[in-house]
Amino acid sequence: MSEPAAIAVDQFLAHPPAKVWRALTDSDLLARWLMPNDFRPVPGHRFTFRTTPRPGQGFDGVVHCEVLELDEPRRLRWAWRGGQLDTVVTWTLVPEGRGTRLFLEHAGFDPEDPVQRRTFTLLDGGWRSHVWRRLEQALTHLA
Amino acid sequence: MSEGDVFAALANPTRREVLRLLLERGEQPVQQLADHFDMRRPSLSEHLRVLKDAGLVTEQPVGRQRFYALRPEPLRQVADWLGPYERFWRARLADLREVLDGLPDE
Repeated sequence: MSEPAAIAVDQFLAHPPAKVWRALTDSDLLARWLMPNDFRPVPGHRFTFRTTPRPGQGFDGVVHCEVLELDEPRRLRWAWRGGQLDTVVTWTLVPEGRGTRLFLEHAGFDPEDPVQRRTFTLLDGGWRSHVWRRLEQALTHLA
Repeated sequence: MSEGDVFAALANPTRREVLRLLLERGEQPVQQLADHFDMRRPSLSEHLRVLKDAGLVTEQPVGRQRFYALRPEPLRQVADWLGPYERFWRARLADLREVLDGLPDE
């Protein structure tokens, strides 16, 4: 059984890949939808995102990142480290009609952590997309 | 009920399939579930016992049959665990769309 240990989210954007790429790789634009940062589109560049600290979770509010891959305008990969996390964020841009489907994968959640591992095992594949939403709806009705 | 029991119960694909069937088709007698899986009843009964111990299904005797029904409450802790990360990215992607919509084309 596969254990991807990843969150995967995708979103259709009614804009061409080149424009989506700009919003992903321009520091000022990134700050407008993600977090303040000192990103530069250079492979190997180390940068940070800064957000609200959450001392209770051992997170000082700084996400330490590194540009792992830069394949304009298709794929962008960052190391994403902060608090308990030592993970990788991958953006994939796929042309779709006149727009772009943007895939986000946030992978590498600690495979030694049994709770994390089991959660991602549970949430892989079709069970996640087809069943989980309805289970969540069922939960909402319980509330 | 410890947290691990629910995650352990969900870690098995057969048990997840049982939950899916109960979700989509409602309460069912054990034989109907066994027919779906092409599985000997004793091994299915073992899966049902694990699900019952985790509080994910209820068992109701009706005549000579035992009916099983989904009890989703324990899944809330799974949703609570994953929620923050997924909610974070969904919210950020929504913001990204707004930024793009307000940005002139090159």
